[in-house]
Amino acid sequence: MREPTIQTEKAAPACWECKAALDGASAEAHFCPQCGKIQPLPPQTTYFSFFGLPRKLDLEAAELERQFHQLSWQLHPDRFHNASAYERELSLERTAVLNDAFRTLRDPVDRVEYLLGLEGVRKEGEVKQQAPPDLLEEVFELNEHLEELRAAKRSGGEGRELDELRHRLEKTREAFQQKLDAVLAELTAQFPAWDQQGDRAALLRLSEILNRHSYIRNLVRNVTEELET
Amino acid sequence: MGRIVGIDLGTTYSLVAYTEPQTGQPRCLPDEEGRTLLPSVVSVDPDGTIVVGWPARDRLLKQSERTVYSVKRLMGKGRGDVEEELKLFPFRIAPDSESVIKIRLGEKVFTPPEISAFILRELKRRAEKFFGEETTRAVITVPAYFNDAQRQATKDAGRIAGLEVERLVNEPTAASLAYGLDKHQRALIAVYDLGGGTFDISLLKLEEGLFKVQSTNGDTHLGGDDIDNLLAEKARAEIRQQFKRDLAEAPDLYQSLRQSVIAAKHELSEKTSATIRFAVPGQGEYRREVARAEFESWIAPLIERTLAPCKMALKDAGVKPEQIDEVVLVGGSTRIPLVRRRVEELFGRKPHAELNPDEVVALGAALQARILEGGLKDMLLLDVTPLSLGIETMGGAVAKIIPRNATIPASASEMFTTYADKQTGVEIHVVQGERELVKDCRSLARFTLKVPPQPAGLPRIEVKFLIDANGILSVTARDLRTGEERSVEVKPSYGLTDEEVEGMILESIEWAEADFAAVQLVAARNEAEAVRRATAKALGEEQAQGLAPDERQQIERARTALEEALKTDDYKLIRQRLEELNQATHHLAELLMDTAVQTALKGKRTDEVNL
Repeated sequence: MREPTIQTEKAAPACWECKAALDGASAEAHFCPQCGKIQPLPPQTTYFSFFGLPRKLDLEAAELERQFHQLSWQLHPDRFHNASAYERELSLERTAVLNDAFRTLRDPVDRVEYLLGLEGVRKEGEVKQQAPPDLLEEVFELNEHLEELRAAKRSGGEGRELDELRHRLEKTREAFQQKLDAVLAELTAQFPAWDQQGDRAALLRLSEILNRHSYIRNLVRNVTEELET
Repeated sequence: MGRIVGIDLGTTYSLVAYTEPQTGQPRCLPDEEGRTLLPSVVSVDPDGTIVVGWPARDRLLKQSERTVYSVKRLMGKGRGDVEEELKLFPFRIAPDSESVIKIRLGEKVFTPPEISAFILRELKRRAEKFFGEETTRAVITVPAYFNDAQRQATKDAGRIAGLEVERLVNEPTAASLAYGLDKHQRALIAVYDLGGGTFDISLLKLEEGLFKVQSTNGDTHLGGDDIDNLLAEKARAEIRQQFKRDLAEAPDLYQSLRQSVIAAKHELSEKTSATIRFAVPGQGEYRREVARAEFESWIAPLIERTLAPCKMALKDAGVKPEQIDEVVLVGGSTRIPLVRRRVEELFGRKPHAELNPDEVVALGAALQARILEGGLKDMLLLDVTPLSLGIETMGGAVAKIIPRNATIPASASEMFTTYADKQTGVEIHVVQGERELVKDCRSLARFTLKVPPQPAGLPRIEVKFLIDANGILSVTARDLRTGEERSVEVKPSYGLTDEEVEGMILESIEWAEADFAAVQLVAARNEAEAVRRATAKALGEEQAQGLAPDERQQIERARTALEEALKTDDYKLIRQRLEELNQATHHLAELLMDTAVQTALKGKRTDEVNL
């Protein structure tokens, strides 16, 4: 009869210092509620749980930043410089995750991508690099303009010709930038479907919008690079 | 644990500073002559003696082939990186300099970290003289735009010099700490740092003592040195025309010319014209008046090069120039009026230049040192990594895993598997930079991840890349099937291996012994001085009447002997005479009831006695 009890004790996480049980609300706490020592990251930690947030997409940026600052004061390696080697290691690990989590969650696009990864809808970094069919024609035209500018640069084209090509490309870039803003609005419009109804079909829609977004973003980036050099 | 000092290891000058724990005020430590600056110049005598600082700088003119300056520009570089630059240096590069440059100085060969270590050792010695005890812990500053190899090389230099490098701090960020901007204000700060060899721009958000870097950019190959080289080249061309003599073939003379143009450059920050004067041996004097306007037209292209990084930093931080609340100038080159005008135009406000631009970085390093000691609990610095970290993917493309301007520490995990059955290794190539192709980025390291032989695609190895608070990368790997940690042996593309650094530490122990003697001397002197004073005081006390005449004579003799010993630099002799005086005053000590004096006479350490 004793056996199961022992097993439960083993399974329940405890503070490495004072052995206080860390379960329920304290399971993902940064510090032991009993002795205040910094704790290792539990394997199930996500960027959301690190901030004590539910897996939802609608985030208040100012509040996230306030929490980021507060946790930085508590967790940063500078605050553990004279602590034991183990605590220094934990501080480094937790601060790295704090920074990674803040960087990811504060940006709506990165936040969606991260959530989709967590929910198994897509693998991290997996992006379809196909042009969305409705954009094919415009993308084709853009690429043509890009190529013309490159060719003109290579052959040391005349100032006026270059200027004209640049001007035309600049216009196209602006058009695509507007599309990008529209796609971003489309993305945020899907947030409530997931946040409020937990609708998994919404995740698939988000994934599609994300592909479209990253395609156009790359396009704009390439054009910008070409225009600035 | 001991105190931590802050060190600015600069291209042209280096400094050491510390923060007074009681007042929380940082200050730069002076040398015996009251100078806080130490020229970052190292010279090697024919007998192997190393000369550092001012005397080494004087040798630039007479023994230029034995003397090295601006070595910071070579840190973390390979020969291919600096081919152009090396043409202007008088010293020679030894063969086998592909991954670490090896500099020939007279009969010896040194790497840049070893040369930097000589400078650090000199600063360490200065601190030890000042404090009268060993100093082994330091915060060292680096340009914000330094890459991983350059940071690692700086850390290696510290280790070789016998310093525990507690933290590398970015120079502009350190400067912002030192600027004493009201900690409780909320402000967006731009730090424009144009030093001897590097340019950095950093934008910081200050909020309730939290200094958070928003973005950083720069050019690790742009600074006052470039202005000096440009002026020297102009003068050399004119001299060649006027005197039919090319100074490129006479390194000593060329160095001397370089000093002359530097003097003129400095003068042009104060006056509207200056004259370059240079004696061409046996052929008369080259005199060239330079008006400030002309000087400005020459250097304008160099100064313009600082503006693009500024704009990039603004763009990355998502702010417009007019949103910047404070602009801070750092680095000796910001004394140039044209630089100030350009910065003012860009940000639309007058930059702060109240603090000595040469000292402000060292002062900031000392503040960070105090933070690490556990003081200054109301300040915290959150810095960023200046360059994106990526790994090579198919076709020589780069997959970015940590973006530039990510707050550090930062990490990223990547999953790796195999393409072929029974494949036992996966090659991983880590790079730093913003470009899309590996060939356009800086190679940091390559390593082979060992994988158990299994069917293709089955192994799952998680590799974790961690950039620590120093901006330095480390890599660990874990087999997700077994949960086993896998060791990763990373061979840096540029820089020294751990074994090489260990070897250099061993070699440097002879220098450490000389340092040890210096510390002992200061400690013995302080102690002897205190005991000597205490004895004189005790002899004047009423209780001293109880001494027998020969006892008193013995004390006087021992005291004179100690005074003689104090005139030497022999700490062992001082200790011996001190001990003899202690013996002689034994009875006197017993006669005295004043416990403070008694303690001193029994030879307790001086810092335990309040005299």
